Amino acid sequence: MTTSAPTLAIPGQLLGHASKYQPGPGTHIHESNLYASLLGTIHVTQPAKAPGPVKRLTKITPAPAPAELPTISVTVPTRSAGAEHQQKKREVLPEVGNVVLCRVIRITPRQAVVAILVCGDTVLDAEWQGLIRVQDVRATEKDRVKIYESFRPGDIVRAEVISLGDQANYYLSTARNELGVILATSEAGNAMHPVNWKEYRDPETGLLELRKVAKPY
Amino acid sequence: MADRRRINGPAGATIPPVFDEDGKQYEHKVAKIRDRAPTAIRKMFLKTGVTPSASGSAYLEYESSAKSGVSGLKLSCTVHGPRSLPRSSPFSPHIVLSTHVKYAPFATKQRRGYLRDPSERDLGTHLETALRGAIIADRWPKSGVDIIISIIEGDQDRETSKFQGDETWDMMNALSGCITVASAALADAGIDCVDTVAGGVAALVQDTSDDSTPRIVLDPIPSEHEKILGACCVAYLPIRDEVTNLWFKGDLPASDIDLYTKLVESGIQASRNGNRVLVECLGETVA
Amino acid sequence: MASQQHVLLSPAELAYLHDSLSLTPPLRPDGRSPTQYRPLSAETGILPGTNGSARICFADGTEAIVGVKAEVEKTRRKWDDDTIYDENKEETREEAEGAEGSSDWVELTVEIPGFRDDDSSTVFLAAMLSEALLADGGFVRRLVINRRFHWKVYLDILLISPPLSYPLPLLSLTTHLALLSTRLPRLKSEGDEDPFFDDDWAAAPYLYPRSSNKKVLARPPVTLLVMAVGNNIIFDPAKEELAVADVALAVSVGDVSSSSSSSSSEGEEDVDMTAEEQEGRKLRLLSIRTVDPPSRLTPPGVPNATNSAYGHAQVGEGGKTKQQMPEARAAESEAVEGVWKPPRGGAKALVMAALVQKTLQRGGVADEVFDALEGVDLG
Repeated sequence: MTTSAPTLAIPGQLLGHASKYQPGPGTHIHESNLYASLLGTIHVTQPAKAPGPVKRLTKITPAPAPAELPTISVTVPTRSAGAEHQQKKREVLPEVGNVVLCRVIRITPRQAVVAILVCGDTVLDAEWQGLIRVQDVRATEKDRVKIYESFRPGDIVRAEVISLGDQANYYLSTARNELGVILATSEAGNAMHPVNWKEYRDPETGLLELRKVAKPY
Repeated sequence: MADRRRINGPAGATIPPVFDEDGKQYEHKVAKIRDRAPTAIRKMFLKTGVTPSASGSAYLEYESSAKSGVSGLKLSCTVHGPRSLPRSSPFSPHIVLSTHVKYAPFATKQRRGYLRDPSERDLGTHLETALRGAIIADRWPKSGVDIIISIIEGDQDRETSKFQGDETWDMMNALSGCITVASAALADAGIDCVDTVAGGVAALVQDTSDDSTPRIVLDPIPSEHEKILGACCVAYLPIRDEVTNLWFKGDLPASDIDLYTKLVESGIQASRNGNRVLVECLGETVA
Repeated sequence: MASQQHVLLSPAELAYLHDSLSLTPPLRPDGRSPTQYRPLSAETGILPGTNGSARICFADGTEAIVGVKAEVEKTRRKWDDDTIYDENKEETREEAEGAEGSSDWVELTVEIPGFRDDDSSTVFLAAMLSEALLADGGFVRRLVINRRFHWKVYLDILLISPPLSYPLPLLSLTTHLALLSTRLPRLKSEGDEDPFFDDDWAAAPYLYPRSSNKKVLARPPVTLLVMAVGNNIIFDPAKEELAVADVALAVSVGDVSSSSSSSSSEGEEDVDMTAEEQEGRKLRLLSIRTVDPPSRLTPPGVPNATNSAYGHAQVGEGGKTKQQMPEARAAESEAVEGVWKPPRGGAKALVMAALVQKTLQRGGVADEVFDALEGVDLG
């Protein structure tokens, strides 16, 4: 969807007036002008033409904001050229609303502590810690949730970031059908497969284990 | 604080004496005279991406003056992060910047220890102030970034040692280099900045050769001048036309505020010159 | 950084403070005028075991004590001095007499409760204070005893209470008074022989000499903290005010009142006196440092337009776009009236120049501060 040929930007470079573009990643506004804030290539993305209401909105939302401006962004190029730079990626931070993949580190009756491994499509370099509190495990029957019936250390969980949390942890939630444990190992140490919304089965021993199972896509 | 982890040489060591050649009269006068124009800064070499393991890195070298014995400043900067903060630190809605400036033990005439001494910490604080104005801190909540600068070679003349306050003026040059190199490394690391910040130094000097009035020079080398009356180091954002850090030192009459203003303007000019190198280097980085 | 201790103010409070400080004239939370200092009580010579000491107590309860200790130390000769042993030795000695001291004759340490002594903020404060003291070389010149010996001065600055605001003005003023009250034993030996001193403390001369009517002829430097908010320039900011500063500067000012004019003004009429004083006080600009204002680390406010709690946000939409672009940060927006946004970038050079100008101009704040310090009874 890029319209203009990507050109280079260095931090502080003027990109255009704020009324012409929407600021995307890697840009900032100063005195109603848009400037680059990263070193990289400029991309202008035309807004996706709203293809009519796909489905009826169940909530009342304000009239579509004047968001029909092209979005301008500056992205850091992945340096494939140059053998000494092996594909350096830009760091990405988990953000509220992101779907992340994480590994359960330890569980307590109140919460599961996880390490966030992947944010969106990006594998993170740095280690960020997250927390799934017992009330955020599922959307229904929250008072019946038991952490040890939902997660076990070592499970890989798909979750959504709901808050930047406290100083150490991001707060995550699995309170949606497609969120939950996606990979689990049994107590015997075998990879298991999901059998229903709350159970995984060990193919060798045939034992069932309780999990908050993510709905397979 | 004493360095207890290593065996250090005796304190209070002195520099070996330098003997005059063939009974030649020891010359009291400054042998080296600035041969650049007052508004010219030294040539610089700047390159990003020198340390593959860091998120961003840069290397800066000043042209060594043609005369022997004067070495140019050599700086290497690495940026690590953004990464998660240690568990003990409180929640921060911004990126937490920590700057370390360290002279290599062999960088200056007087050997430096391995622990950071107060002047290095002071440089770190100045650098932090300069960079904090340049970065967009709220883009990276809950994360920290470490900016580590090693001064591999200081800006010192091996042959002279008599200059009073030599080191303090050297610190200004070092700071200006630190700012420029850190700015390049930050851009290389992909941390949001409002502009490219660069450092510049200007000084009000009095030369012996021409007993004229003091003049303002950019990018001074202390050994080239008889006396430095005042100097300022400026960290400047050229596109926003803003100063993020100003460090002035000297002794100027308060009545003559114009002199001070001129000095700062010259510092900004020096910073603009340095910024051209920076911009070109960054252009090469993405190209 | 001591200036960055966490300020527990909400974005709304910060916006309010910023707006009220940007008014003309600014409305300060404690009702001071822009150039007014906080009231303080000061006393000198409180510690008999020191060569000089002072204590200053701000009305808010922050208190600082400075003790000055002096020791005789052998002057390390510079090596290039040693190499010149030739006929014109006398001449070189003449040169050395008038010669400079070395900056390591002064050791200045700052101790702030709650901060490590190698914390960069304490180091920064100490560097700032000693920088001003050493700037003109005049202070170390006072420490020369003879060619072979000098005084080594230890300045120990103690903040008694945890800082309620950036402690720079307090520490600087206390150091100033302590130095003014500093006396060194009277030298009895002559020339370059090993020094010995008069043990009569009453005869000990002041480090900063005074004229017969106890008027101080020269004064140590003073460091002032100045900040700018909007179009206003505010002196001696409190912690809350510093939290919304656009830029903060520490300006060190020295006073080299010529001794002649001060002594001539003795016992003259009042009118003459003030005229003389205006003539006499020759302020010198010694150092300027940018203090990193804590405002950059304050939490930003969220304008109603993007606040989902306010019902305005594109909740469904926003969630989706964010998933597509994990790098998208909290949406960039124009500054909204009344919504606090931490300042980005630096300050215009003109603003900084105005801060300095306002400090230094005749009858400016530096003048006022020196006037006020003259009023302190030095005992």
